[in-house]
Amino acid sequence: MSETNRNRLLLAVALLLAAIYLFPLYWMYITALKTGSEMFRTPPSFWPDDPQWSIFPFVFQLKGMGLFLWNSTVIASGSVALIAVLGTGAAYVLARYRNVWVDVGLFLVLMLQVLPASLMITPIFVLFTLTGILDYPRMAVILAIAAKSMPFFIVLVRATFMSVPMELEEAALVDGNSRVGAFWSIVLPLARNGILVAAILIFMQAFGEFVYSKSLIQEIELQPSSVGLNAFMGPNTNEWNRIMAFASIYVTPILATFVLLQRRIVSGLTSGALK
Amino acid sequence: MRRLYSSLVDGRGFDLCLIGVPLVFLLLLSGVPLAYNVVMSFQAVDMFSLGSFVRPWVGFDNYRQLIAQPEFWPIMGHTATFLIASIAGQFLIGFALALFFWVNFPGASWLRGLFLVSWVMPGLVVGAVWNWLLSGDFGVFNFVLHQLHIISGNVFWRSDPAFALWSVVIANIWLGTSFNMIMLSVGLSSIPADLYEAAELDGAGALFRFWTITLPMMRSTIGALISLGLIFTLQQFDLFAAITAGGPNNASNVAQYWAWDLSFKQYDFAKGAAISVIMIAVVMVASVYYVRSTRHEVRG
Repeated sequence: MSETNRNRLLLAVALLLAAIYLFPLYWMYITALKTGSEMFRTPPSFWPDDPQWSIFPFVFQLKGMGLFLWNSTVIASGSVALIAVLGTGAAYVLARYRNVWVDVGLFLVLMLQVLPASLMITPIFVLFTLTGILDYPRMAVILAIAAKSMPFFIVLVRATFMSVPMELEEAALVDGNSRVGAFWSIVLPLARNGILVAAILIFMQAFGEFVYSKSLIQEIELQPSSVGLNAFMGPNTNEWNRIMAFASIYVTPILATFVLLQRRIVSGLTSGALK
Repeated sequence: MRRLYSSLVDGRGFDLCLIGVPLVFLLLLSGVPLAYNVVMSFQAVDMFSLGSFVRPWVGFDNYRQLIAQPEFWPIMGHTATFLIASIAGQFLIGFALALFFWVNFPGASWLRGLFLVSWVMPGLVVGAVWNWLLSGDFGVFNFVLHQLHIISGNVFWRSDPAFALWSVVIANIWLGTSFNMIMLSVGLSSIPADLYEAAELDGAGALFRFWTITLPMMRSTIGALISLGLIFTLQQFDLFAAITAGGPNNASNVAQYWAWDLSFKQYDFAKGAAISVIMIAVVMVASVYYVRSTRHEVRG
Protein backbone atom coordinates (compact mmCIF):
# COMPACT_ATOMS: atom_id res chain seq x y z
CA MET A 1 0.00 0.00 0.00
CA SER A 2 1.40 3.38 -0.97
CA GLU A 3 2.01 6.16 1.52
CA THR A 4 -0.91 8.31 0.31
CA ASN A 5 -3.35 5.42 0.35
CA ARG A 6 -2.30 4.46 3.83
CA ASN A 7 -2.79 8.07 4.96
CA ARG A 8 -6.22 8.25 3.32
CA LEU A 9 -7.33 5.08 5.05
CA LEU A 10 -6.08 6.25 8.43
CA LEU A 11 -7.75 9.61 7.97
CA ALA A 12 -11.03 7.90 7.09
CA VAL A 13 -10.87 5.75 10.23
CA ALA A 14 -9.97 8.81 12.32
CA LEU A 15 -12.92 10.74 10.90
CA LEU A 16 -15.20 7.82 11.68
CA LEU A 17 -13.92 7.63 15.27
CA ALA A 18 -14.39 11.40 15.69
CA ALA A 19 -17.91 11.15 14.26
CA ILE A 20 -18.84 8.41 16.74
CA TYR A 21 -17.28 10.26 19.64
CA LEU A 22 -18.90 13.58 18.80
CA PHE A 23 -22.30 12.07 18.02
CA PRO A 24 -23.86 13.31 21.32
CA LEU A 25 -23.11 16.88 20.22
CA TYR A 26 -24.68 16.29 16.80
CA TRP A 27 -27.72 14.79 18.50
CA MET A 28 -28.08 17.88 20.70
CA TYR A 29 -28.26 20.22 17.68
CA ILE A 30 -30.46 17.87 15.65
CA THR A 31 -32.95 17.33 18.48
CA ALA A 32 -33.26 21.08 18.97
CA LEU A 33 -34.31 21.42 15.32
CA LYS A 34 -36.97 18.69 15.43
CA THR A 35 -40.68 19.22 15.96
CA GLY A 36 -42.36 17.89 19.09
CA SER A 37 -43.69 14.78 17.32
CA GLU A 38 -40.62 14.01 15.23
CA MET A 39 -38.47 13.99 18.33
CA PHE A 40 -40.36 10.98 19.78
CA ARG A 41 -40.52 8.98 16.55
CA THR A 42 -39.28 5.37 16.43
CA PRO A 43 -37.04 4.66 14.66
CA PRO A 44 -35.49 8.08 15.33
CA SER A 45 -34.75 10.28 12.35
CA PHE A 46 -31.13 11.29 11.96
CA TRP A 47 -31.94 14.41 9.98
CA PRO A 48 -34.88 16.71 10.78
CA ASP A 49 -37.69 16.67 8.17
CA ASP A 50 -38.56 20.27 8.77
CA PRO A 51 -35.83 22.12 10.71
CA GLN A 52 -37.38 24.43 13.28
CA TRP A 53 -34.85 27.26 13.26
CA SER A 54 -37.29 29.50 15.10
CA ILE A 55 -36.88 27.40 18.25
CA PHE A 56 -33.64 29.21 19.14
CA PRO A 57 -35.12 32.74 19.42
CA PHE A 58 -38.25 31.19 20.95
CA VAL A 59 -36.43 29.42 23.80
CA PHE A 60 -34.13 32.41 24.25
CA GLN A 61 -37.20 34.60 24.87
CA LEU A 62 -39.20 32.00 26.82
CA LYS A 63 -36.50 31.24 29.37
CA GLY A 64 -35.02 34.74 29.54
CA MET A 65 -31.68 33.36 28.45
CA GLY A 66 -30.23 36.83 27.94
CA LEU A 67 -30.12 37.32 31.70
CA PHE A 68 -28.76 33.80 32.36
CA LEU A 69 -25.95 34.24 29.84
CA TRP A 70 -25.19 37.70 31.17
CA ASN A 71 -24.85 36.30 34.71
CA SER A 72 -22.63 33.48 33.46
CA THR A 73 -20.45 36.06 31.71
CA VAL A 74 -20.27 38.28 34.79
CA ILE A 75 -19.30 35.34 37.01
CA ALA A 76 -16.76 33.96 34.53
CA SER A 77 -15.18 37.38 33.81
CA GLY A 78 -14.96 38.25 37.49
CA SER A 79 -13.34 34.91 38.33
CA VAL A 80 -10.84 35.15 35.47
CA ALA A 81 -9.90 38.72 36.36
CA LEU A 82 -9.32 37.85 40.02
CA ILE A 83 -7.45 34.64 39.20
CA ALA A 84 -5.25 36.28 36.55
CA VAL A 85 -4.27 39.22 38.74
CA LEU A 86 -3.42 37.11 41.79
CA GLY A 87 -2.31 33.89 40.09
CA THR A 88 0.18 35.33 37.57
CA GLY A 89 2.38 36.75 40.31
CA ALA A 90 2.33 33.54 42.30
CA ALA A 91 3.17 31.49 39.21
CA TYR A 92 6.09 33.81 38.42
CA VAL A 93 7.63 33.51 41.89
CA LEU A 94 7.14 29.73 41.95
CA ALA A 95 8.84 29.47 38.55
CA ARG A 96 11.74 31.81 39.27
CA TYR A 97 13.12 30.28 42.44
CA ARG A 98 14.02 26.80 43.52
CA ASN A 99 14.21 26.14 47.23
CA VAL A 100 12.36 24.39 50.04
CA TRP A 101 9.78 27.13 50.39
CA VAL A 102 8.89 27.00 46.72
CA ASP A 103 8.46 23.24 47.03
CA VAL A 104 6.16 23.73 50.01
CA GLY A 105 4.20 26.38 48.14
CA LEU A 106 3.83 24.17 45.08
CA PHE A 107 2.71 21.26 47.23
CA LEU A 108 0.05 23.42 48.88
CA VAL A 109 -1.12 24.73 45.51
CA LEU A 110 -1.41 21.22 44.05
CA MET A 111 -3.28 19.98 47.12
CA LEU A 112 -5.78 22.86 46.97
CA GLN A 113 -6.40 22.10 43.30
CA VAL A 114 -7.99 18.75 44.10
CA LEU A 115 -10.70 19.70 46.60
CA PRO A 116 -14.11 18.79 45.18
CA ALA A 117 -16.44 21.79 44.98
CA SER A 118 -19.44 19.80 46.21
CA LEU A 119 -17.57 18.94 49.40
CA MET A 120 -16.18 22.44 49.97
CA ILE A 121 -19.54 24.15 49.45
CA THR A 122 -20.90 23.21 52.89
CA PRO A 123 -18.30 25.14 54.95
CA ILE A 124 -18.10 27.89 52.31
CA PHE A 125 -21.86 28.43 52.48
CA VAL A 126 -21.87 28.57 56.28
CA LEU A 127 -18.84 30.88 56.44
CA PHE A 128 -20.27 33.18 53.75
CA THR A 129 -23.53 33.33 55.71
CA LEU A 130 -21.68 34.20 58.91
CA THR A 131 -19.56 36.92 57.28
CA GLY A 132 -22.37 38.44 55.24
CA ILE A 133 -20.68 37.80 51.88
CA LEU A 134 -23.79 35.86 50.87
CA ASP A 135 -25.67 39.17 50.59
CA TYR A 136 -23.72 39.64 47.34
CA PRO A 137 -24.34 36.21 45.80
CA ARG A 138 -22.54 36.65 42.47
CA MET A 139 -19.47 38.00 44.22
CA ALA A 140 -19.65 35.05 46.61
CA VAL A 141 -19.61 32.66 43.64
CA ILE A 142 -16.71 34.57 42.04
CA LEU A 143 -14.67 34.28 45.26
CA ALA A 144 -15.44 30.57 45.58
CA ILE A 145 -14.54 29.83 41.94
CA ALA A 146 -11.36 31.89 42.23
CA ALA A 147 -10.24 29.87 45.24
CA LYS A 148 -11.08 26.64 43.44
CA SER A 149 -9.51 27.36 40.04
CA MET A 150 -6.53 29.53 40.92
CA PRO A 151 -4.24 26.57 41.69
CA PHE A 152 -4.89 25.15 38.19
CA PHE A 153 -4.09 28.54 36.66
CA ILE A 154 -0.88 28.80 38.71
CA VAL A 155 0.26 25.34 37.57
CA LEU A 156 -0.38 26.17 33.88
CA VAL A 157 1.16 29.65 33.94
CA ARG A 158 4.15 28.49 35.98
CA ALA A 159 5.01 26.12 33.11
CA THR A 160 4.95 29.14 30.78
CA PHE A 161 7.22 31.23 33.00
CA MET A 162 9.65 28.31 33.24
CA SER A 163 10.14 28.56 29.47
CA VAL A 164 11.01 32.27 29.59
CA PRO A 165 14.82 32.44 29.76
CA MET A 166 15.97 34.03 32.99
CA GLU A 167 18.92 35.65 31.13
CA LEU A 168 16.53 38.07 29.43
CA GLU A 169 15.28 39.33 32.76
CA GLU A 170 18.79 39.56 34.14
CA ALA A 171 19.88 41.57 31.10
CA ALA A 172 17.05 43.99 31.71
CA LEU A 173 18.13 44.37 35.33
CA VAL A 174 21.73 45.07 34.27
CA ASP A 175 20.41 47.72 31.89
CA GLY A 176 18.96 49.55 34.86
CA ASN A 177 15.41 48.30 35.02
CA SER A 178 13.82 47.76 38.41
CA ARG A 179 12.37 44.31 39.22
CA VAL A 180 8.88 45.65 38.58
CA GLY A 181 10.00 47.18 35.30
CA ALA A 182 11.70 43.98 34.12
CA PHE A 183 8.68 41.87 35.10
CA TRP A 184 6.23 44.22 33.46
CA SER A 185 8.04 44.96 30.21
CA ILE A 186 10.12 41.80 29.59
CA VAL A 187 8.74 38.72 31.37
CA LEU A 188 5.00 39.37 31.10
CA PRO A 189 4.97 40.09 27.34
CA LEU A 190 6.97 36.91 26.70
CA ALA A 191 4.55 34.83 28.77
CA ARG A 192 1.48 36.52 27.30
CA ASN A 193 0.32 33.59 25.17
CA GLY A 194 0.50 31.06 27.97
CA ILE A 195 -1.35 33.35 30.35
CA LEU A 196 -4.01 33.98 27.73
CA VAL A 197 -4.57 30.25 27.10
CA ALA A 198 -4.81 29.53 30.83
CA ALA A 199 -7.25 32.42 31.24
CA ILE A 200 -9.42 31.08 28.40
CA LEU A 201 -9.50 27.62 29.98
CA ILE A 202 -10.48 29.12 33.34
CA PHE A 203 -13.15 31.24 31.63
CA MET A 204 -14.68 28.14 30.00
CA GLN A 205 -14.71 26.30 33.32
CA ALA A 206 -16.25 29.22 35.19
CA PHE A 207 -18.81 29.78 32.39
CA GLY A 208 -20.14 26.27 33.04
CA GLU A 209 -19.77 26.22 36.82
CA PHE A 210 -22.76 24.75 38.64
CA VAL A 211 -22.33 23.65 42.29
CA TYR A 212 -21.39 27.02 43.78
CA SER A 213 -23.93 28.98 41.74
CA LYS A 214 -26.72 26.53 42.56
CA SER A 215 -25.97 26.63 46.29
CA LEU A 216 -25.08 30.29 46.81
CA ILE A 217 -27.51 32.14 44.50
CA GLN A 218 -31.20 32.03 45.44
CA GLU A 219 -32.51 34.90 43.27
CA ILE A 220 -33.48 33.69 39.79
CA GLU A 221 -32.43 36.95 38.15
CA LEU A 222 -28.85 36.49 39.38
CA GLN A 223 -28.45 32.83 38.38
CA PRO A 224 -26.15 31.69 35.54
CA SER A 225 -27.15 29.48 32.59
CA SER A 226 -26.07 26.22 34.22
CA VAL A 227 -28.59 26.69 37.04
CA GLY A 228 -31.19 27.80 34.50
CA LEU A 229 -30.65 24.63 32.47
CA ASN A 230 -30.91 22.50 35.60
CA ALA A 231 -34.22 24.14 36.55
CA PHE A 232 -35.51 23.63 33.00
CA MET A 233 -34.93 19.86 33.22
CA GLY A 234 -37.66 18.73 35.57
CA PRO A 235 -37.79 15.05 36.58
CA ASN A 236 -40.41 14.07 34.01
CA THR A 237 -39.83 16.54 31.26
CA ASN A 238 -40.75 15.89 27.66
CA GLU A 239 -39.63 19.23 26.22
CA TRP A 240 -36.37 17.76 25.00
CA ASN A 241 -36.18 19.84 21.83
CA ARG A 242 -36.43 23.02 23.89
CA ILE A 243 -33.92 21.79 26.47
CA MET A 244 -31.49 20.88 23.68
CA ALA A 245 -32.05 24.33 22.14
CA PHE A 246 -31.20 25.90 25.52
CA ALA A 247 -28.09 23.69 25.74
CA SER A 248 -27.06 24.57 22.16
CA ILE A 249 -27.33 28.30 22.75
CA TYR A 250 -25.35 27.88 25.97
CA VAL A 251 -22.43 25.81 24.59
CA THR A 252 -22.05 27.13 21.06
CA PRO A 253 -19.92 30.13 22.12
CA ILE A 254 -17.68 27.79 24.14
CA LEU A 255 -17.39 25.28 21.29
CA ALA A 256 -16.66 28.02 18.75
CA THR A 257 -13.92 29.48 20.93
CA PHE A 258 -12.43 26.06 21.47
CA VAL A 259 -12.40 25.08 17.79
CA LEU A 260 -10.85 28.42 16.79
CA LEU A 261 -8.11 28.30 19.41
CA GLN A 262 -7.83 24.51 19.57
CA ARG A 263 -4.13 24.19 18.87
CA ARG A 264 -3.12 26.71 21.49
CA ILE A 265 -5.51 25.42 24.13
CA VAL A 266 -4.40 21.82 23.69
CA SER A 267 -0.70 22.66 23.80
CA GLY A 268 -1.17 24.96 26.79
CA LEU A 269 -3.09 22.28 28.63
CA THR A 270 -0.60 19.51 27.92
CA SER A 271 2.40 21.61 28.93
CA GLY A 272 0.98 22.27 32.36
CA ALA A 273 -1.42 19.65 33.61
CA LEU A 274 1.05 16.81 33.97
CA LYS A 275 3.90 18.95 35.19
CA MET B 1 9.30 53.99 54.29
CA ARG B 2 11.57 54.58 51.34
CA ARG B 3 13.34 51.36 52.03
CA LEU B 4 10.05 49.48 52.07
CA TYR B 5 9.07 51.10 48.79
CA SER B 6 12.35 50.26 47.09
CA SER B 7 12.16 46.70 48.39
CA LEU B 8 8.68 46.39 46.88
CA VAL B 9 9.84 47.74 43.52
CA ASP B 10 13.27 46.25 43.30
CA GLY B 11 13.95 43.58 45.89
CA ARG B 12 12.74 40.72 47.97
CA GLY B 13 9.55 42.59 48.82
CA PHE B 14 8.45 42.32 45.20
CA ASP B 15 8.55 38.51 45.27
CA LEU B 16 7.02 38.30 48.73
CA CYS B 17 4.17 40.55 47.67
CA LEU B 18 3.51 38.60 44.46
CA ILE B 19 3.34 35.27 46.27
CA GLY B 20 1.98 36.54 49.59
CA VAL B 21 -1.28 38.05 48.40
CA PRO B 22 -2.48 34.93 46.52
CA LEU B 23 -1.41 32.70 49.40
CA VAL B 24 -3.40 34.75 51.90
CA PHE B 25 -6.36 34.69 49.52
CA LEU B 26 -6.17 30.90 49.12
CA LEU B 27 -5.71 30.45 52.84
CA LEU B 28 -8.81 32.54 53.61
CA LEU B 29 -11.04 30.95 50.96
CA SER B 30 -9.78 27.35 50.92
CA GLY B 31 -7.78 26.79 54.09
CA VAL B 32 -10.22 28.35 56.52
CA PRO B 33 -13.28 26.54 55.08
CA LEU B 34 -11.29 23.31 55.17
CA ALA B 35 -10.55 23.73 58.87
CA TYR B 36 -14.01 25.05 59.66
CA ASN B 37 -15.50 22.00 57.97
CA VAL B 38 -13.77 19.76 60.49
CA VAL B 39 -15.00 21.93 63.37
CA MET B 40 -18.54 21.88 62.04
CA SER B 41 -18.56 18.10 61.73
CA PHE B 42 -18.23 17.91 65.54
CA GLN B 43 -21.05 20.38 66.21
CA ALA B 44 -24.81 20.23 66.20
CA VAL B 45 -25.82 22.52 63.33
CA ASP B 46 -29.42 23.36 62.51
CA MET B 47 -31.18 26.18 60.70
CA PHE B 48 -31.19 28.36 63.85
CA SER B 49 -27.55 27.94 64.81
CA LEU B 50 -26.42 28.37 61.19
CA GLY B 51 -25.83 32.08 61.75
CA SER B 52 -23.74 31.89 64.91
CA PHE B 53 -20.24 30.65 65.59
CA VAL B 54 -21.11 29.14 68.98
CA ARG B 55 -22.86 25.79 68.67
CA PRO B 56 -23.18 22.80 70.97
CA TRP B 57 -20.29 20.34 70.72
CA VAL B 58 -21.39 16.77 70.06
CA GLY B 59 -18.13 14.91 69.53
CA PHE B 60 -18.32 12.06 67.07
CA ASP B 61 -22.15 11.88 67.12
CA ASN B 62 -22.48 13.15 63.54
CA TYR B 63 -20.11 10.50 62.25
CA ARG B 64 -21.77 7.77 64.29
CA GLN B 65 -25.24 8.69 63.04
CA LEU B 66 -23.96 8.98 59.49
CA ILE B 67 -22.48 5.48 59.49
CA ALA B 68 -25.58 4.10 61.19
CA GLN B 69 -27.78 5.36 58.35
CA PRO B 70 -28.86 2.44 56.15
CA GLU B 71 -27.79 4.22 52.96
CA PHE B 72 -24.22 4.88 54.16
CA TRP B 73 -22.53 1.66 53.00
CA PRO B 74 -24.49 1.37 49.72
CA ILE B 75 -23.50 4.94 48.85
CA MET B 76 -19.85 4.23 49.66
CA GLY B 77 -20.09 1.15 47.44
CA HIS B 78 -21.58 3.22 44.60
CA THR B 79 -18.77 5.73 45.00
CA ALA B 80 -16.18 2.96 44.64
CA THR B 81 -17.97 1.46 41.62
CA PHE B 82 -18.30 4.88 40.03
CA LEU B 83 -14.62 5.62 40.58
CA ILE B 84 -13.27 2.32 39.31
CA ALA B 85 -15.59 2.00 36.31
CA SER B 86 -15.13 5.62 35.23
CA ILE B 87 -11.35 5.59 35.55
CA ALA B 88 -10.99 2.20 33.85
CA GLY B 89 -13.30 3.21 30.99
CA GLN B 90 -11.74 6.62 30.45
CA PHE B 91 -8.23 5.26 30.62
CA LEU B 92 -8.66 2.21 28.39
CA ILE B 93 -10.63 3.97 25.65
CA GLY B 94 -8.36 6.99 25.93
CA PHE B 95 -5.26 4.80 25.61
CA ALA B 96 -6.65 2.96 22.60
CA LEU B 97 -7.46 6.26 20.87
CA ALA B 98 -4.07 7.72 21.78
CA LEU B 99 -2.31 4.69 20.28
CA PHE B 100 -4.32 5.02 17.09
CA PHE B 101 -3.59 8.74 16.70
CA TRP B 102 0.08 8.11 17.48
CA VAL B 103 0.43 6.70 13.97
CA ASN B 104 1.21 9.86 12.10
CA PHE B 105 -1.03 10.90 9.24
CA PRO B 106 -2.04 14.35 7.95
CA GLY B 107 -4.70 15.93 10.16
CA ALA B 108 -4.03 13.59 13.09
CA SER B 109 -3.16 16.22 15.66
CA TRP B 110 -6.01 18.52 14.68
CA LEU B 111 -8.61 15.75 14.82
CA ARG B 112 -7.20 14.50 18.10
CA GLY B 113 -7.54 17.98 19.59
CA LEU B 114 -11.15 18.13 18.44
CA PHE B 115 -12.04 15.28 20.81
CA LEU B 116 -11.35 17.59 23.72
CA VAL B 117 -14.67 19.43 23.21
CA SER B 118 -16.25 16.83 25.49
CA TRP B 119 -13.98 18.04 28.26
CA VAL B 120 -14.43 21.80 27.84
CA MET B 121 -18.23 21.64 27.73
CA PRO B 122 -20.13 22.59 30.91
CA GLY B 123 -20.88 19.43 32.91
CA LEU B 124 -24.54 20.35 33.10
CA VAL B 125 -24.82 20.38 29.31
CA VAL B 126 -23.05 17.03 29.00
CA GLY B 127 -25.48 15.71 31.59
CA ALA B 128 -28.50 17.12 29.77
CA VAL B 129 -27.42 15.63 26.43
CA TRP B 130 -26.75 12.20 27.95
CA ASN B 131 -29.99 12.34 29.89
CA TRP B 132 -31.77 12.60 26.56
CA LEU B 133 -29.54 10.04 24.77
CA LEU B 134 -30.19 7.51 27.55
CA SER B 135 -33.93 8.14 27.73
CA GLY B 136 -35.76 4.81 28.09
CA ASP B 137 -38.49 4.96 25.45
CA PHE B 138 -37.10 7.42 22.93
CA GLY B 139 -33.39 7.46 23.64
CA VAL B 140 -31.13 6.96 20.64
CA PHE B 141 -28.66 4.96 22.77
CA ASN B 142 -31.23 2.20 23.29
CA PHE B 143 -32.04 2.36 19.58
CA VAL B 144 -28.40 1.82 18.59
CA LEU B 145 -27.93 -1.02 21.07
CA HIS B 146 -31.10 -2.59 19.73
CA GLN B 147 -29.92 -2.33 16.13
CA LEU B 148 -26.64 -3.98 17.14
CA HIS B 149 -28.67 -6.79 18.80
CA ILE B 150 -27.06 -6.14 22.16
CA ILE B 151 -30.40 -5.63 23.91
CA SER B 152 -33.86 -6.87 22.99
CA GLY B 153 -36.10 -4.57 25.07
CA ASN B 154 -35.62 -0.97 26.13
CA VAL B 155 -33.32 -0.37 29.08
CA PHE B 156 -34.57 2.34 31.41
CA TRP B 157 -31.13 3.70 32.18
CA ARG B 158 -32.08 6.50 34.50
CA SER B 159 -35.03 5.02 36.39
CA ASP B 160 -34.01 1.36 36.74
CA PRO B 161 -32.06 1.00 40.02
CA ALA B 162 -29.79 -1.59 38.38
CA PHE B 163 -28.69 0.84 35.64
CA ALA B 164 -29.02 4.34 37.14
CA LEU B 165 -25.42 4.48 38.36
CA TRP B 166 -24.19 3.13 35.03
CA SER B 167 -25.97 5.88 33.11
CA VAL B 168 -23.80 8.40 34.97
CA VAL B 169 -20.72 6.21 34.48
CA ILE B 170 -21.30 6.15 30.70
CA ALA B 171 -21.66 9.93 30.56
CA ASN B 172 -18.57 10.38 32.72
CA ILE B 173 -16.50 8.04 30.57
CA TRP B 174 -17.50 10.05 27.50
CA LEU B 175 -16.60 13.29 29.24
CA GLY B 176 -13.17 12.21 30.48
CA THR B 177 -11.90 9.96 27.69
CA SER B 178 -10.62 12.84 25.58
CA PHE B 179 -8.56 14.29 28.42
CA ASN B 180 -6.93 10.89 29.04
CA MET B 181 -6.27 10.51 25.34
CA ILE B 182 -4.56 13.90 25.00
CA MET B 183 -2.37 13.36 28.05
CA LEU B 184 -1.40 9.86 26.95
CA SER B 185 -0.60 11.18 23.46
CA VAL B 186 1.86 13.61 25.02
CA GLY B 187 3.47 10.76 26.94
CA LEU B 188 3.67 8.58 23.83
CA SER B 189 5.28 11.28 21.71
CA SER B 190 8.04 11.74 24.27
CA ILE B 191 9.27 8.14 23.87
CA PRO B 192 12.41 8.24 21.71
CA ALA B 193 11.76 6.58 18.34
CA ASP B 194 15.17 4.87 18.15
CA LEU B 195 14.15 2.56 21.00
CA TYR B 196 11.54 1.06 18.69
CA GLU B 197 13.91 0.93 15.74
CA ALA B 198 16.46 -0.97 17.83
CA ALA B 199 13.83 -3.39 19.13
CA GLU B 200 12.52 -3.97 15.61
CA LEU B 201 16.02 -4.78 14.38
CA ASP B 202 16.27 -7.30 17.20
CA GLY B 203 13.08 -8.89 15.89
CA ALA B 204 10.67 -7.87 18.65
CA GLY B 205 6.99 -8.07 17.63
CA ALA B 206 4.52 -5.22 18.03
CA LEU B 207 2.91 -6.63 21.18
CA PHE B 208 6.28 -7.36 22.73
CA ARG B 209 7.45 -3.80 21.98
CA PHE B 210 4.28 -2.45 23.62
CA TRP B 211 4.92 -4.44 26.81
CA THR B 212 8.64 -3.84 27.05
CA ILE B 213 9.01 -0.29 25.74
CA THR B 214 5.72 1.63 25.64
CA LEU B 215 4.28 0.67 29.02
CA PRO B 216 7.48 1.04 31.07
CA MET B 217 8.30 4.39 29.42
CA MET B 218 4.79 5.63 30.13
CA ARG B 219 4.83 4.65 33.79
CA SER B 220 5.00 8.12 35.31
CA THR B 221 2.42 9.52 32.86
CA ILE B 222 0.04 6.67 33.64
CA GLY B 223 0.55 7.03 37.38
CA ALA B 224 -0.15 10.76 37.28
CA LEU B 225 -3.11 10.29 34.97
CA ILE B 226 -4.78 7.62 37.12
CA SER B 227 -4.47 9.69 40.28
CA LEU B 228 -5.67 12.72 38.33
CA GLY B 229 -8.61 10.58 37.14
CA LEU B 230 -9.39 9.70 40.76
CA ILE B 231 -9.34 13.38 41.66
CA PHE B 232 -11.52 14.45 38.71
CA THR B 233 -13.98 11.60 39.24
CA LEU B 234 -14.43 12.48 42.90
CA GLN B 235 -15.17 16.04 41.76
CA GLN B 236 -17.89 14.91 39.38
CA PHE B 237 -21.14 16.41 40.58
CA ASP B 238 -22.85 18.04 37.61
CA LEU B 239 -23.62 14.77 35.84
CA PHE B 240 -25.45 13.43 38.91
CA ALA B 241 -27.42 16.65 39.18
CA ALA B 242 -28.34 16.54 35.50
CA ILE B 243 -29.02 12.82 34.96
CA THR B 244 -30.32 11.00 38.04
CA ALA B 245 -30.12 13.39 41.03
CA GLY B 246 -28.88 10.38 43.00
CA GLY B 247 -32.09 8.45 42.42
CA PRO B 248 -34.06 6.29 42.20
CA ASN B 249 -34.02 5.78 45.97
CA ASN B 250 -30.26 6.47 46.27
CA ALA B 251 -29.45 3.78 43.67
CA SER B 252 -27.04 6.15 41.91
CA ASN B 253 -26.05 8.29 44.88
CA VAL B 254 -22.35 8.81 45.55
CA ALA B 255 -20.54 10.46 48.45
CA GLN B 256 -19.84 13.79 46.78
CA TYR B 257 -23.50 14.17 45.76
CA TRP B 258 -24.77 12.91 49.10
CA ALA B 259 -22.73 15.53 50.97
CA TRP B 260 -24.37 18.29 48.98
CA ASP B 261 -27.80 16.69 49.27
CA LEU B 262 -27.51 16.43 53.07
CA SER B 263 -26.51 20.08 53.39
CA PHE B 264 -28.66 21.79 50.81
CA LYS B 265 -31.72 19.55 50.42
CA GLN B 266 -32.09 18.19 53.95
CA TYR B 267 -30.40 21.19 55.66
CA ASP B 268 -28.34 18.81 57.80
CA PHE B 269 -25.12 20.80 57.55
CA ALA B 270 -23.35 18.86 60.30
CA LYS B 271 -23.73 15.53 58.52
CA GLY B 272 -22.86 17.16 55.22
CA ALA B 273 -19.67 18.42 56.84
CA ALA B 274 -18.92 15.00 58.31
CA ILE B 275 -19.14 13.18 54.97
CA SER B 276 -17.08 15.99 53.38
CA VAL B 277 -14.35 15.48 55.94
CA ILE B 278 -14.22 11.75 55.18
CA MET B 279 -14.10 12.26 51.42
CA ILE B 280 -11.58 15.12 51.54
CA ALA B 281 -9.28 12.79 53.48
CA VAL B 282 -9.57 10.27 50.61
CA VAL B 283 -8.85 12.97 48.01
CA MET B 284 -5.84 14.17 49.98
CA VAL B 285 -4.30 10.69 49.99
CA ALA B 286 -4.83 10.41 46.22
CA SER B 287 -3.33 13.81 45.59
CA VAL B 288 -0.22 13.07 47.63
CA TYR B 289 0.37 10.22 45.21
CA TYR B 290 -0.33 12.52 42.25
CA VAL B 291 2.08 15.15 43.53
CA ARG B 292 4.73 12.52 44.18
CA SER B 293 4.45 10.92 40.77
CA THR B 294 4.80 14.31 39.06
CA ARG B 295 7.44 15.53 41.47
CA HIS B 296 10.50 15.13 39.30
CA GLU B 297 8.66 16.98 36.56
CA VAL B 298 7.57 19.70 38.97
CA ARG B 299 11.18 20.44 39.74
CA GLY B 300 11.65 21.00 36.01
